[in-house]
Amino acid sequence: MFQLDIRSRVPLYEQLIDKLKELIINEIYKPDYQLPSVRTLAQELTINPNTIQKAYRELELEGYIYSVPGKGSFVAPQSHIINDEKVKKMKDTLVKLISEALYLGIDKQEIISIITDAEQSVKGGEIHD
Amino acid sequence: MINIQNLNKRFDDYIAVKNVTLHIKKGSIYGLLGSNGAGKTTLLKMIAGLYKQDSGELTVDNQQIFENVAMKQRTIFLADSLYFFSNATIKQMADFYRSVYSSWNDERFHKLAEAFPLETNKKIERMSKGMQRQAAFWLTLSAMPDYLILDEPLDGLDAVMRQKVKNLLVQDVAERNMTVLISSHNLREVEDLCDHIGVLHHGEIMIEKDLDDLKSDVHKIQVAFNGDVPTSFLEPFNVLYSETRGSVLLYIVKGAKEQVVSHISSQHPTLFDLLPLTLEEIFIYEMRDVGYAIENIIV
Repeated sequence: MFQLDIRSRVPLYEQLIDKLKELIINEIYKPDYQLPSVRTLAQELTINPNTIQKAYRELELEGYIYSVPGKGSFVAPQSHIINDEKVKKMKDTLVKLISEALYLGIDKQEIISIITDAEQSVKGGEIHD
Repeated sequence: MINIQNLNKRFDDYIAVKNVTLHIKKGSIYGLLGSNGAGKTTLLKMIAGLYKQDSGELTVDNQQIFENVAMKQRTIFLADSLYFFSNATIKQMADFYRSVYSSWNDERFHKLAEAFPLETNKKIERMSKGMQRQAAFWLTLSAMPDYLILDEPLDGLDAVMRQKVKNLLVQDVAERNMTVLISSHNLREVEDLCDHIGVLHHGEIMIEKDLDDLKSDVHKIQVAFNGDVPTSFLEPFNVLYSETRGSVLLYIVKGAKEQVVSHISSQHPTLFDLLPLTLEEIFIYEMRDVGYAIENIIV
């Protein structure tokens, strides 16, 4: 079972959402895997069941999980969401790296040529423009 | 569901509770916060049916609780100063609770013996303060109340026992949909347990809100600009507090996180951090906003 940081400034329900998303995106929780019940999580993490319910509702709204009345919550099959999330993270990382590179004085053209090189090595020399 | 409308209570010419309106949902863990003498205990005693209000509405599950035996059977008020019969042992107290509360559960009582390492044949009076508190929780949780009203409940318990008691409370909420009302002046203690909070000050309710909403609504931001600070760059937001530390600007702003982030990023700061606030910080700033001195609110 995972742990939440009670001392953190981040609200517990946000932490819970982030944690579960991470587990789903990294496929530790595979599609159709049954999530721990609200009751189990409340007991194991000593957090308010209402907080857990709220996190589950939010995840369901965002399409990460689905619930079956009387059975519980399950991980939704969802390649596009996972990719969207990964792309978003990647973009953020790129922006950070590129800003840093520009700050260090690497020329914009140089960065573009690095991108071109990378593209070539991925696609085996086939460049579209 | 506990419903309170315009509740008032005075003792002689001292107004203890003034026009309080509160709503506590079933299955919620509600934190009632406030300074010493803010009226917390008086309010709790009215909700528990121990005091009668001077005016206003107070219903628990749409019923009056004062002098209502059936309702009181389902409600337990654990006061800050505990009361046990003199010379009573836990066993004798358990017999008494069994005779009073129809929902008393013997199986639960025996099961909870694992959680509370106390001797049932020892006089409670001879036990330490913390052990007496444990005994009170043991008896209370065995009586399986639907409404549990706790006044400064964790005082005197050690760290391990606090965690254990919190865990037991959370389990009862999850399994039986028990409603818990906790009063405390210790913000950190209730921060991780409650879903809703109400702040009482001089007998009046200052804030009543979903804790997560409260937290995701206010942010602490640090920004620095290369050159001049754009004038009125926080225009669209409600700034609760601002401070300049050298070239770094510190603000407490109200607003949706995404909006704050995208708005500030668009002004190209050289440094930008956004942190959620702790409950304690929220109070300091919100209270300042309402014009109350911090010292009185946070102890």
